[in-house]
Amino acid sequence: MKAFLFDASICNGCYGCQIACKDEHCEQAWEGYTAAQPMTGQFWGKITEREMGKTPFVHVNYKFEACGNCDDCKLLELAEDGAVYRRDDGIIIIDPVKAKGQEQLRGVCDKVFWNDAEQVAQKCTGCAHLLDDGWDVPRCVDWCPTGALQFGEESELDLEGAVPAEPGSHLYYKNLPGRRICGTVADREINEVIIGAKVTITDAEGNEVAVIDTDDFGDFMFKDAAEGEFDVKIEADGYQPMDYHVSTVENDAVIGQVIVTK
Amino acid sequence: MKTADKTVVQNTGMCCFGHGANIAAFDVKDGRVVRVRPAHYDKRYKNKEDLNYWTISDGRGHTLEPGMKSLIPPFAFSAKTTTYSKNRIPYPLIREDFDPNGERHPENRGKSKYRRISWDDALDIVASEINRITEKYGRMSMLVQADGHGETKAIHGPHGCMCKMLDLTGGYTLQARQPDSWEGWYWGAKHVWGHDPVGQNVQQFNIIEDIMQNGDTLLLWGCDFETTPWGWGGCMPSLISFKLSECGIKQIAVAPDCNYAAVVHADKWIPVLPNTDSALQLAIAYVWITEDLYDKEYIATHADGFDWFVYHVMGKDDGIVKTPEWAEKWTGIPAYTIKAFARHWATHNTSIAHCNGGSYIRAAFSHEPARLEVYLLGMQAVGHPGRNQFKFLEWSIFGKLSCCPLPIGSYMPLANACYNGNILGELPPSFIPKTMIPAAIRGEHLHWYGQVTCTKPRIDQFDPYEYPAPGEDYQIHMVWSDSPCWTTCWNGGNELEDALRLPSMEFVLIQHPWFENDCLFADILLPACTKLELTDFNTDPMNGQFPVIVYEKQAVEASTDSKSDWEIVCEICKHLEKFGGVYENLYERYTDGKDMSMEAQVKRGYEGCGLTDEQYDWDNFEKYGFELVPTYRSYEKLPAGMYNFYKDPVKYPLDTPTGKLEYYSVPIATTWPDDRERQPTAHWVEKGAGHDDRLNSERAKKFPYLIVSNHPKWRVHANMDDNPWFREIDTCKVIGEDGYAYEPVWINPIDAEREGIKDGDIVGLFNERGTVLGGARITERIMPGVVSQDHGTHVDPIKMGVGGIDRGGANNLIAPSAITSKNAAGEVTSGYLVGMKKVDIKALEEEYGAEVDFHRDHYTSECGMCVEDVIVEE
Repeated sequence: MKAFLFDASICNGCYGCQIACKDEHCEQAWEGYTAAQPMTGQFWGKITEREMGKTPFVHVNYKFEACGNCDDCKLLELAEDGAVYRRDDGIIIIDPVKAKGQEQLRGVCDKVFWNDAEQVAQKCTGCAHLLDDGWDVPRCVDWCPTGALQFGEESELDLEGAVPAEPGSHLYYKNLPGRRICGTVADREINEVIIGAKVTITDAEGNEVAVIDTDDFGDFMFKDAAEGEFDVKIEADGYQPMDYHVSTVENDAVIGQVIVTK
Repeated sequence: MKTADKTVVQNTGMCCFGHGANIAAFDVKDGRVVRVRPAHYDKRYKNKEDLNYWTISDGRGHTLEPGMKSLIPPFAFSAKTTTYSKNRIPYPLIREDFDPNGERHPENRGKSKYRRISWDDALDIVASEINRITEKYGRMSMLVQADGHGETKAIHGPHGCMCKMLDLTGGYTLQARQPDSWEGWYWGAKHVWGHDPVGQNVQQFNIIEDIMQNGDTLLLWGCDFETTPWGWGGCMPSLISFKLSECGIKQIAVAPDCNYAAVVHADKWIPVLPNTDSALQLAIAYVWITEDLYDKEYIATHADGFDWFVYHVMGKDDGIVKTPEWAEKWTGIPAYTIKAFARHWATHNTSIAHCNGGSYIRAAFSHEPARLEVYLLGMQAVGHPGRNQFKFLEWSIFGKLSCCPLPIGSYMPLANACYNGNILGELPPSFIPKTMIPAAIRGEHLHWYGQVTCTKPRIDQFDPYEYPAPGEDYQIHMVWSDSPCWTTCWNGGNELEDALRLPSMEFVLIQHPWFENDCLFADILLPACTKLELTDFNTDPMNGQFPVIVYEKQAVEASTDSKSDWEIVCEICKHLEKFGGVYENLYERYTDGKDMSMEAQVKRGYEGCGLTDEQYDWDNFEKYGFELVPTYRSYEKLPAGMYNFYKDPVKYPLDTPTGKLEYYSVPIATTWPDDRERQPTAHWVEKGAGHDDRLNSERAKKFPYLIVSNHPKWRVHANMDDNPWFREIDTCKVIGEDGYAYEPVWINPIDAEREGIKDGDIVGLFNERGTVLGGARITERIMPGVVSQDHGTHVDPIKMGVGGIDRGGANNLIAPSAITSKNAAGEVTSGYLVGMKKVDIKALEEEYGAEVDFHRDHYTSECGMCVEDVIVEE
């Protein structure tokens, strides 16, 4: 069984994987495997990017998305005449000829696209035409300069700590970033940051999830928060403690400037 | 199934002066390029030992190695999309109302359409015009713009193939491209620490390993290595930065924008208002001086004139003590952060990394932040293990092996032996700084200092020059450009749009593959081939893995009726021969009577690229299409960065008059005693004669934002703006309500709310020089008070010239036309004031729709402008 593994911690956001897919498939049909993809608008292998945080605590989460050849793929259920089939290596193929006009495959899954001109559903083929021609990996993986995107036998990939993109998917994610709770503690009277202030983060159930000392920039940053509500207490010797209630449900919780007073 | 008929290997870098990068494999099937992919080195090299494969380490288990495939950026895909671009100039074109024997209608340049003309007729007109202009006005009135941007070719140019031909026949005036990538370093830093030719550290041996082993902190100062190196060297910077993080090195980004490198790699972002870095640097120095946090012993032995700097920091000259509280007002950085930053830097082994471009190094008075950075590096004993300055790109620039911070190759292969273009920096007697071209065309008598090109040493800056020559009164009547890039990429392009439409400008000839940029103003357009349509020789010494030599075999037949830039000049030589005299036998003289077949030229390139007789292996080079240069065996023995200077400044002096770091420049003091903008010691310059662009200025009442204009994420300058796979990425374009794809403008939510702008709105950025449109992107990645729009997008005028409106969003059109400072002829293309407003595109159409077509038949948001819209059928 072939699988993809995406390690978010070493993705540089170059979009090379997304475009390599287009380079292979746009206006180029691979007979027996897939009809041509339109020049724009379809994303069989896609990078999504989401800006997180607030000035000056900002970062971007990049994530690779593609068909993970799910165990319970609906295409296999809905297709008629064997138009969709799973290969021995686990890759699910939509036969571009047999599947023509099979409207029931339209919109089945957000990784499957409808080609209006060809009247056919299409998606990532794992570059099966290339694998059958001796390639080890699909185009997106061949391109990836950092090694963030890997492809291979599922049993041979290092999946420790990895999670499937969705239940039953054979696209796995590693090191997906958590939500952040962060800020800078400073005294405006003397224009100094507070180093070593104690920041205690407590979740909605009252569990202490992190105790951090501010660094030499007066900064604290908790990077692995779950999505939820938190209480943040900031204590520095000789200063009034500060309490915040923050949410990481929609975004990072950037408390920003925490101006403490004596 | 057959997935390719053949594979060729070519460079895809965009340095364009024969200095290649980004080697890719191109699969061809049925006469079309079907696939662009990394070149796999193990296809030729089964044994890594043959390459002396390198691995560097921090000594604690973290290692970095080159890998065995090329680390190309997505720009490489554009070699294919731009070859098949709908915006390729399909055949020679002549402006429909340009009659070389009658009315020329110069006023209609930029507006008139074009019609097809045969190569023969076009070349006849070109030859006649060259001959006529020469006889009537003399050759000094012929301006050659043999520089700019474009694909990297060697045999085929693209830049300056005409120079040799014009040299042989009476000369010409050359546009001297000032150091646009390095302005501040060139005009400033060189006067402190030498490091010719551009003033960035050229002693970069082994710096990456040194930082892995000895560094604590890396400052990314105005540096975006996830964009800028893409055109010149690839993705190795990503690998380096990930590895440094793994080694525990803290990475701090200092810039107005949280750029593409910062959002992935930085542990901290310090937003600084554009072009106020000098204030931040002075305040850091203040903290170090007052808290005794710098290396006094080092300063005593390695520096000269340090007291002058202390004098300025403490306000003895101008009455302003450069405290963090003072700096906060200019920079927007809280004083407490400035103090913390200064102390962190002083107590950790800190290096600084750079790319090019942006407000840090391309704003007014850019020599000041550059000089101040070197001052600060000196105060922390630059050269000490873990304390250096390095770059994430240009790792072979100017042929210097020492510009690479990674293990170097055993030699640097270069393409000079078969290069038919003009070598950047080699100037004829008559030349004009590129920043002064509009004024030159207007007939102004110009004075400046230095030959201004990036290859010149520090001392060149002290020599005065002028155009026209003393006692002469000629002016420019003809322009000849190849792969042009003035309006989109230089300073105050609206002035050039006006100048090119003056009656005195009699003939504008442009060669280029695509209808973009200055092409809109040509009288004759000659279509050039793209790389994939040509055979060429090139090298890639820039990638940081292994230097590469490339036999660039033709991938596909030309898809347009085009020739290479070199072939075009060869043809012009032949067409000039009929005039006899200096033109007699010109083609033979131009080609030195040599065998100019592609194979012969490639062979000359290979034999002359720097390899030894033992390394000569033509058969395998021919077979595989590429050859790697093994790593230099003793690279580990090379001193890391400026270590030698750090250890012994007497034995290893800098290239300055004293051999030391000069905090006071005697040559500047004696040459320009009255220059208040670039004084002998760097200082805070609030404003100057040509620049009044601070947020407290009177002008800021009308134009309240500072603009950042970086190297684009999804282009190299103006090239590749037609790539449909880039344009559908959110950060590339914003589709307006009218369906037009606008260049994004980053706006902080605070400013957006104030201006009533929503994400996706069409906005205008404006000042006295004109307006450029863009598409609003509301983002936390830009600090309040600042807007960011990348430079280089297609020029698409609604109204031309000064006070005009550009729909494409080429913001260089409204950049200041004044040079860097009084005696530094650099460009200012970032960090200046603009106003911002929401634009009603329907109202603009009502006002200008009669003159400009707002709904062109062939324009698509996927590809942008299309040349078909300007071609009239016969």
